[in-house]
Amino acid sequence: MKETIYQTICPGCGIGCGLYIRKNADGKLSIDHMKSSPVNLGKLCRFGMKLPHYYAKENNAVNLVNGSSAVAETAIKAAVEILKEADSSSIALLSVGNTTNEEQMAFTKLAATLETIVQTGVSSECLNVPMASLVEIENAKRIVLFIDPYVQYPLIVRRLLAAKKNGASIVAVGTQPLNLADETLDLKPENHDELKLDSESLIIADIHPNSDIMLAKSLLALAQKTYAKIQFMRPFMNSFGTGLSGDQESKKVGLAELLEDIELGNIRTLVVLDSDPIELMPDNEAAVESLKKLNNLIVISSRSSPITEFANVVIASEPVYSKAGTFLNTEGKLLENSGAGKAGVDALSLLNAGIGGKAFTYDEMNYLVLKAIEAQKEKRSVVTECSVSVDGVSSPEIPEGMYELKYLYNPFMWFDQQDDNDFVLLNRNTVRKLGLKKGGCVNLKSNRGELKMRFRVEALPNGLVLTAKKLPVARGTSTIVSMEGC
Amino acid sequence: MIEVGDKVIGYSTDPGVRNKGASGGLVTAILAAALEKGLVEEVVVLKHINEYEAIPIITSDVEDVLASAGSMHTVPVNLAKYAVGKNVAMPGKPCDIRGVIEQAKRNEVNIDNTYLIGLNCGGTMYPVQTQEMLINMYDIDPEDVKGENIEKGNLIFRTKSGEEKGISIDELEEAGYGRRVSCRYCDVKIPVNADLACGNWGVIGELSGNATFCEVMNEKGVRLLENAIDAGYIEIEPASEKAIAIREKVNNVMLSMGEKWSEKIFTEIPDGERTQYYMEQFADCINCGACKEVCPVCTCGEDSKCTMYHNLEDNYRMSMFHMVRLMHLSDSCIGCGQCTDVCPVDIPLTTIFRRFADKSQKKYNYKAGMTLERPPFLEVMPR
Repeated sequence: MKETIYQTICPGCGIGCGLYIRKNADGKLSIDHMKSSPVNLGKLCRFGMKLPHYYAKENNAVNLVNGSSAVAETAIKAAVEILKEADSSSIALLSVGNTTNEEQMAFTKLAATLETIVQTGVSSECLNVPMASLVEIENAKRIVLFIDPYVQYPLIVRRLLAAKKNGASIVAVGTQPLNLADETLDLKPENHDELKLDSESLIIADIHPNSDIMLAKSLLALAQKTYAKIQFMRPFMNSFGTGLSGDQESKKVGLAELLEDIELGNIRTLVVLDSDPIELMPDNEAAVESLKKLNNLIVISSRSSPITEFANVVIASEPVYSKAGTFLNTEGKLLENSGAGKAGVDALSLLNAGIGGKAFTYDEMNYLVLKAIEAQKEKRSVVTECSVSVDGVSSPEIPEGMYELKYLYNPFMWFDQQDDNDFVLLNRNTVRKLGLKKGGCVNLKSNRGELKMRFRVEALPNGLVLTAKKLPVARGTSTIVSMEGC
Repeated sequence: MIEVGDKVIGYSTDPGVRNKGASGGLVTAILAAALEKGLVEEVVVLKHINEYEAIPIITSDVEDVLASAGSMHTVPVNLAKYAVGKNVAMPGKPCDIRGVIEQAKRNEVNIDNTYLIGLNCGGTMYPVQTQEMLINMYDIDPEDVKGENIEKGNLIFRTKSGEEKGISIDELEEAGYGRRVSCRYCDVKIPVNADLACGNWGVIGELSGNATFCEVMNEKGVRLLENAIDAGYIEIEPASEKAIAIREKVNNVMLSMGEKWSEKIFTEIPDGERTQYYMEQFADCINCGACKEVCPVCTCGEDSKCTMYHNLEDNYRMSMFHMVRLMHLSDSCIGCGQCTDVCPVDIPLTTIFRRFADKSQKKYNYKAGMTLERPPFLEVMPR
């Protein structure tokens, strides 16, 4: 058998970096750089370079019914039975955007038959904003960053450096100095006027299931007030594709609210499409406890993950790189896979038909996607009105002698991959105060327990501890901790 | 009877291959013959994705070989890794061949089993930048392009309607387009390190555009050529003195262009500023590891000196990963440009490595990837 070469995009974040996945006759995967991709010119970040591991055969989902292996037909039948018997008012569907537009559209059809909508894990409040192209970053005169591009969206670093060469000034708003920024300002939202934005400025922030929605809204209001452009980066490969379905106008809730609804018993049946709340929520254990309250959990996924372990039914689709389908990247560019796999759409069609809806084909879903993109282009010039005060954006009070452990949200879910971000960042004052020694460790304590971590020194504000990975002592993106040397 | 040192002009006997191939299809025919007559088990060729991109594939299917015919200056790819552990034939630019030879020194490639057909190279270009250049400099729709060629210092594009437009490479490069930076100062244009050194330089008169000049560099080159002749795949004739002189003249012009670029790029860094220079160059590195991954000289694998002494947790103000690689490559860098191509934050890695490597390689009169001579002071340990 010959080697198969798939043209695809990286599933790491919403930038949509083009690449080739090569599968040799033995099934071994490797990547090749797609230098003709206008998005990334073939360049990839650390996550993209490790895709053969991410896509390794042992990480692929398998069909399961109540934990036992099953053929696809049996799994679909079992899911149909669950959905038929479930109370339709307590069913929720979730897809954060880790799959193709066509599967997303098919999922929306299923939601319509169930008389509900597809939740995306992000609140839809006031966030229907126009997207800036990546080239616009290079041409901006003043750029204000509310993200750490090196860690969160590495493939925009080169765009920012190009902007700097073109004379742009770059301001990082946050706590960590960035090499490419001319200055770093630790500004509270009420002081954002100090940023001196105008129509030639560009704000870059991001929206993800753990975002502070009030902060996002305040940034949108800031952009509207100053006529600055704003680019919200997104963490999932097809985050923007989730907005193509017909239910944009419906109210969507954040992932935390969705889990709260499950906790409260308002949601009894959850159907997820290539989305795992356990991986996404900062507090894994709390997410697991919430999901245990469900009567039924149906997972349609290409990848095995913590949620597939205790789902009632898992319907497996092929790995994303081998699917037929399209994606919408962070700048609204339509990107297409060369693969031919349609198992996901076919399964959703059977599910939909099984519960009384219409069966559909991949081609029909693709037609609807292209039509929706056309419709979206016409709407793009309309800026959503968003009046918001910054009163709702608050910073936690740090008690004397305690520290704020902040989780710098990293869109790359490292899953079971070896992660070399296994340390926390502290400033020099903290290191001195705690008497820490190079090569030593620091003991972090919260009301969830304690944890020994290695550390690295960075020029951070006093009282702050940064982590690029979820830590078991953290409750959310911000946790009060005490620390001592170890 | 072919002998080492022969210089011939030849073409494919198959009219289809001759028409489709860039210069009479000689290289395609030699590769097809090597495969069909059992000289090799597989062949590495470039599979066309579009006019601006091709990706290397390894195949035992002669149809793949024939389908790969055609010149492409727009595709910088790394071929060395496809020769590892195989009995193959492959065409390659001088830097591709240098990569394979470096792999052979590290016992990754059995050079006796690897047939290398070198292609003259004046430089390659990036696919996306080339398309921008066509719009901005040539006023040609990239979709209309049928082929391209470098001739007399001009980069010429041919459209589907048969029109040709050429612009001087100097003008394009001054405007920020044209060849990759590493190609501009490259000092090997004719692949004399291959088994056969092929190209269109020196093909004159009636055969111009329809035949390939080929120099036989060693016994493997003799076998390749004789195999194709015996199979009836190619016809050759001795190159005339005039043809040989013209080939040499084109080579000298290209090398002299390279020297000028080299002087322009490698300006001396004053004493006391070098550390700062390297620190600034590497300051935006995001630790993706792509530069190491694509390097045709690197064979250490995941656990190597450069990765062992590097950890994100460290507070070194200079990347130890890059420092170790600078040392490691100081006698081995071939200047192929692959690391720069894939760097996600556009660090001009090849230029940095060459700046470091040029001095040591010149001092020891050693040019990496040209022969099987071992590197002068960082001895390669067999695995």
